[in-house]
Amino acid sequence: MILYDYILSPSCYKVRLLASLLGVKLELRAVDFHPGREHKGDELLALNPAGSIPILVDGEDVLTESAAILSYIAAKHGQNWLATSDAGEVGAQQQWLSFSHRLTSALGGARLVEMLHFPGDLAALQEAGIAALRELEAALFARRLTGQTFLVGDRITIADIACFPYVALAPDGSVSLDPYASIRIWMRAIRAQPRFIEMPGIHRLHELAPDPLAGDA
Amino acid sequence: MQADERTQWVPAAVSTDILDGTVVPAALPTGPIAVWRTASGELHANGDRCPHRGMRLSHGFVRGNSLSCIYHGWRYGRDGGCEHIPAHPGLEPPKSINCGPLPVAEANGVVWVAAQAPEEAPAEIEGFEALKSMLFCATPAAIAEAAGGALKTELGGTPAHLVTAERTPSETFVVALVPTGTDVASKLAAATALEALRRVTESAT
Ligand SMILES: N[C@H](CCC(=O)N[C@@H](CS)C(=O)NCC(=O)O)C(=O)O
Ligand code: FES
Repeated sequence: MILYDYILSPSCYKVRLLASLLGVKLELRAVDFHPGREHKGDELLALNPAGSIPILVDGEDVLTESAAILSYIAAKHGQNWLATSDAGEVGAQQQWLSFSHRLTSALGGARLVEMLHFPGDLAALQEAGIAALRELEAALFARRLTGQTFLVGDRITIADIACFPYVALAPDGSVSLDPYASIRIWMRAIRAQPRFIEMPGIHRLHELAPDPLAGDA
Repeated sequence: MQADERTQWVPAAVSTDILDGTVVPAALPTGPIAVWRTASGELHANGDRCPHRGMRLSHGFVRGNSLSCIYHGWRYGRDGGCEHIPAHPGLEPPKSINCGPLPVAEANGVVWVAAQAPEEAPAEIEGFEALKSMLFCATPAAIAEAAGGALKTELGGTPAHLVTAERTPSETFVVALVPTGTDVASKLAAATALEALRRVTESAT
């Protein structure tokens, strides 16, 4: 599987993260997204006329939507990361995969304006981002009331991976995560997964590594 | 902050929102704070600025009984004193390096913090426990007005108390308390009603 990838892209990171969590090896093709705008060049437009990354190429299969790529990799290598055939789970998974696009346009949009000075109405993007975070916080609080940590079913799934990166990077668009206690606990549970990987702005849980001072005490 | 305000307990978080061995951001009228639990659950609070270069300590991490800064790893103990500086492993950090521990207490499942030690423990509201915290873009007075004139109210059919702390002139931290032993369905209804109260309050402001 070849992933057309950009290290600072949260949408590409979703794919790298799921692959790592599942122990799946990806062949990474670094795209010069900024400043090169390679995703708008002929070679990549031939693969993805929308001119966006990530793009996953696996033999004949070419996928250009991160939610579709997550579903594809999980179907091949980690069925347990997908909804079961239960209607409630199927609906919830689809709900959160769609919701993840709202996070991309609002929080991701604010981040592009703040970090790369892309044109856009920063205040409107931040307001939409806060509305989405409030919605996610309310849903995760309801999940906690029933003893659950993740968005769908009783385990971590691609729904969590789809939503996690743009939420975690909200501060890059000057949107604070401080008010959201249930989101904080959820993000921690994701970062605590074995084989979790980082991207710039999203770090692992340092306390899970051995204490360099252990033995001194 | 007036001198007497400094010795007042301020609601900072819901107890169950701070897992053992984790740190969370919160605020007093004096500014941002970090509230954390040791690995065994003991609660601590201090200023949110690392004495080294000012990094937010709430972005740091807890190991055992210490809070570490995410930036250069300076490590602080329960008394706020710096215990270790990774760049100078052989050095015993001077006593003067301290991240400013604050008085902290728990009551009704709410974490209360004060700038200076109050004389008494936080007042208990008999029979109620914290459900959920929420930040309202409104003043405490506007929230009380939207809640029907008082902070003792009703949320989705369940009796409730709202505990509030003004964080900035436009932001108020709110904890909703419901009767101890409230069932899950009523808690959910109360949380939904709290969202509705926020909508009403914010659209009136
Ligand atoms: N196709 C969507 C969009 C991903 C997305 O927004 N990618 C950004 C990089 S993080 C991009 O390529 N933007 C360029 C553009 O849309 O012109 C997905 O896979 O989730
Ligand atoms: S800023 Fe905290 S250790 Fe340097």
